[in-house]
Amino acid sequence: MAENTKTNATTKDGAHHTLQIVVFKLGQEEYGLHIDQIKEVVITPNITRMPQTASFVKGVANIRGNVIAIFDLEDRFKLTRAEDQTNGNKYTLVVESEDIKLGLLVNDVPNTVSVNTADLDESVGIINDASTETNYIKGIIKSGDRLIILIDIFKVIDQEMTNTLKKASTTALAA
Amino acid sequence: MKNKEEEYKEIFLAEALENFEEINRLLTHIEKNPEEKSSIHALFRITHTLKGNAGGMGYTGIAEMAHVLEDLFGEVRDGKITLNTNIFESLFKAVDVLGNLINAIRDNAEIKYKGIKTKLEVLIKKATETQVENSESSALAGATGLESSPFSPEPAIAGTIALPDEDEADTPGEADAKVSFSDLVQVPVRKLDNLLNLVGELIIEKDRILASNVSNGLNASNEYARLSRISSDLQYSVMDVRLVQVGFLFNKFHRVVRDAASLEQKNVVLKLIGTDTEIDRNVLQVISDSLIHLIRNCVGHGIESPEERKRLGKSPDGNVWLGARIDTDAVIIEIRDDGKGLDYNRIKGKALSKGLIKEEQVDKLTEEELSMLIFEPGFSTMDAVTAISGRGVGMDVVKKTMDSIGGLIKVSSEVGQGTTIQLTLPSSMAVKSCLLLELRKEVYAIPLAYTESVISLYKTDIHKAGGGLVATHLGKNMAVVFLKDVFDQQIEKSAYTTNVLQNSFDAIHPEQKLDIVVVNFSNRTVGFVVDKLLQQKEIVEKPLMKPVDRIRFISGVTILGSGNVCLVLNVPHLLNFIFSLTAHGKAAKNFTLN
Repeated sequence: MAENTKTNATTKDGAHHTLQIVVFKLGQEEYGLHIDQIKEVVITPNITRMPQTASFVKGVANIRGNVIAIFDLEDRFKLTRAEDQTNGNKYTLVVESEDIKLGLLVNDVPNTVSVNTADLDESVGIINDASTETNYIKGIIKSGDRLIILIDIFKVIDQEMTNTLKKASTTALAA
Repeated sequence: MKNKEEEYKEIFLAEALENFEEINRLLTHIEKNPEEKSSIHALFRITHTLKGNAGGMGYTGIAEMAHVLEDLFGEVRDGKITLNTNIFESLFKAVDVLGNLINAIRDNAEIKYKGIKTKLEVLIKKATETQVENSESSALAGATGLESSPFSPEPAIAGTIALPDEDEADTPGEADAKVSFSDLVQVPVRKLDNLLNLVGELIIEKDRILASNVSNGLNASNEYARLSRISSDLQYSVMDVRLVQVGFLFNKFHRVVRDAASLEQKNVVLKLIGTDTEIDRNVLQVISDSLIHLIRNCVGHGIESPEERKRLGKSPDGNVWLGARIDTDAVIIEIRDDGKGLDYNRIKGKALSKGLIKEEQVDKLTEEELSMLIFEPGFSTMDAVTAISGRGVGMDVVKKTMDSIGGLIKVSSEVGQGTTIQLTLPSSMAVKSCLLLELRKEVYAIPLAYTESVISLYKTDIHKAGGGLVATHLGKNMAVVFLKDVFDQQIEKSAYTTNVLQNSFDAIHPEQKLDIVVVNFSNRTVGFVVDKLLQQKEIVEKPLMKPVDRIRFISGVTILGSGNVCLVLNVPHLLNFIFSLTAHGKAAKNFTLN
């Protein structure tokens, strides 16, 4: 099966393209983000907690004069951290799109991996959490022994935003 | 620095020149595409604006010229005049004269414009007269049209052709050959916001350097005195750039009042006071819709019909005053009318029928409290819904808008004498004086605009009452709330446990002294118990960024000298939340009883 998808991808594109993926560990798994979505990696600054936010929103922090929200994806994806990584969340991955900028907490310095487009399997059937509406998992990358889950961080955020919007409107109605 | 008069003049000049260019462009366009209606509409609009602006500035020449051009374009728009080469010639000449008039503001040159103006007037007159005559006898049209215009000096069309020549002798014929540049630069607000943000960061950085040097034992305040001065000068200059005169908004209300009055068949005169008061552009933008609504309400609800006014011995023309003035840190905008005033009995009845107040409350409410009821959602005393007001939406939106920028509304009214609505607005949304406080190791800021006093009480001074806590301060009872408890309330939690606001109170030591910040907003006074009071500070508030921009307890953030982020509390929302929480608690209790 894996062989099939590989050959398909190669023939479709005609040539081998490489993808630059920034890889970081969440829980026991390796997650990847497209390098275009990442602005910088900084040592996690002091985080100010925010009231009225979900538990995975760790708060806001000052990164080069910009106040941005800090997310903990391990909390968001309900992943338990490996035992040996007790001194976690040292680094913050700053991701940026046109209208959103936010930081993601990671344990180690993320590394960049070049992968062949052929190694990206987008058609893989992933059993989704029933509550999630959009699929933020873009695909699975098989690179040597490693299995990297490629996610679209802005789809994760979009989902949060729609959820909070709904919540806000219901509370507004109740008030 | 230039005085206000000069600044006005410059702005008007820049706008007028822009209008002038636009008229020229559109005219040349129309000459080639005479069928295009949209350009005519645009011309009509521009000349109308120019007329209004010039009138407001007292430039009668420009106003008159723009007026006659507006009339002409109006006729063309209505199809009463068809443009031909002859008319175009006059039009271009008129526009040139208009341009000269505008330029003359700068050098005070004298420009003759009556000639070309009269010519255009004759053209309009002729066109309209011809239309009327056409229905009776087309043969006489020309003659009657001209004879019946006694104010025009020309006896015949021939005269009108002769006049422009005389004009040309006075005005340089090649007026448009010289390209003129305005002394003003138009800057998008976005760029100004960015600039202000940067200045804010500079100030924060300055604070940081000062703080770190104090700890190093250097004589920092002297060392950096210049830096401090320059950065604060810079900050105030940038803020000054963002200030605009309320007149720019106020002048637009002449039209609003006129339209509203003619719809209601009332005669209303709008009088502006203090149009040179300056206010932050963003504040003005936020309140503009609310002001329109309030003004329309004055006309719709406040002012009586002319017959009614005569009967009451008032002049048939109703007056609406729109005034602005500076009061220390705030700008106060007042909307006053000399109409019938609020009908408190009617408000009572309406509020009862809508369930906004209870029967037993009715007689206890003061007039001030009653008048605030009109800002409740779904309230409208007008029995009939009219086109301009009385849909029952709006007044509550006005209130919400004011809350969102930390403004206050006050209503006072005298039966038969009129109503005054007073809006107290912050003159700037960027810099706020705040009280910094600590809560669970985090630093928060409360805008001083809401704080009444800071007190400390012992646990024994605070008493449990109902679901909350009560303390007495200066002979007044007020609710006391532990901010921690409020922040512990998750919005998504549907079932409220009872007495949540007493959790922290139960947990503390009986002899503990508590720091309390007394805040006041729209007649609700609450004491917030905090962990520690820090200091008073001027902060530059930044808005919350996505994806946490919907947090309602927090209105914005600022960066402290330490580089940490400090959250600015949104007091109106906090108070609303606290009081709705207790209401919810009651509702929840009732529910379980059933």
